[in-house]
Amino acid sequence: MTAVLTDEVWAAVGDPNRRRLLDLLLETGESTPTRLASQLPLTRQAVSKHLGVLERAGLVGSTPEGRQMTYRIRADDFDRAARSMAEIAARWDKRLRRIKALAEAIENDSQNRAD
Amino acid sequence: MTGRTSTDIISQDILIKASPEAVYDVVSRAEHIAKWFADEVAWGESGELEPVAGARGVFLWRDDAGNMTSTVEATVVTADRPSLFSFTWVSPERQRSAGSAPVLVEFRINAEAGGTRLVVCESGLDAVDWNEQAKAAYAADHSNGWAGFLPKARAVAESFEAQGSA
Repeated sequence: MTAVLTDEVWAAVGDPNRRRLLDLLLETGESTPTRLASQLPLTRQAVSKHLGVLERAGLVGSTPEGRQMTYRIRADDFDRAARSMAEIAARWDKRLRRIKALAEAIENDSQNRAD
Repeated sequence: MTGRTSTDIISQDILIKASPEAVYDVVSRAEHIAKWFADEVAWGESGELEPVAGARGVFLWRDDAGNMTSTVEATVVTADRPSLFSFTWVSPERQRSAGSAPVLVEFRINAEAGGTRLVVCESGLDAVDWNEQAKAAYAADHSNGWAGFLPKARAVAESFEAQGSA
């Protein structure tokens, strides 16, 4: 148990639109709300709102560029979040394998008794 | 597919050679949960409850010396044998951040050729603020789902690490 996911990060990645925004930022390196909105079925306002959630969670950072903000992934925090999620997923994989073994043992037992 | 599918944060699945009923019992009954998850599990204050909707329970872990290391409270949300069992909890890995909101753990159980498919999903409860149309559009497009996101996130994390160590 090394990493902790904050509620902010958890909620931020829980929304599929925000995962798409992260995807696009990962692909393009950096982008603006206007450009991101042109790549998604979202308004620029909605994109800005989602970027705000991602920024408060520490996953993206912004810098003003002219009249727009430019957004990019914050590598360290994103890395930490990805690791935490991978850890949780790996833990569930392990639990699922134990569930499988238990359920199959129960099934075999009940079949043997029925025979 | 439920509307919640599209908001899962973690989603893993496995094929089990057993009946859906056997799988359901393993993921819901305290005596079984204590074999695959926590060290001690009780629904109710002292194990007097069945895992029915609304039942509260405690999951407890001990270290090798038998000392209690962590406890987690869970509340059953849906108990629909043999197809769906879910509870809310604050997982130990998230408990340390102050005031963590509970998340939903859902076990979806479906018979299929060769056995029973068990899908476990962990999702935020209030993470969604979008309309039904957007949900449907997203559900139709799995390429941006969790299954696609995690490998990508892992790959990126690894590339960050490679850059950092270079």
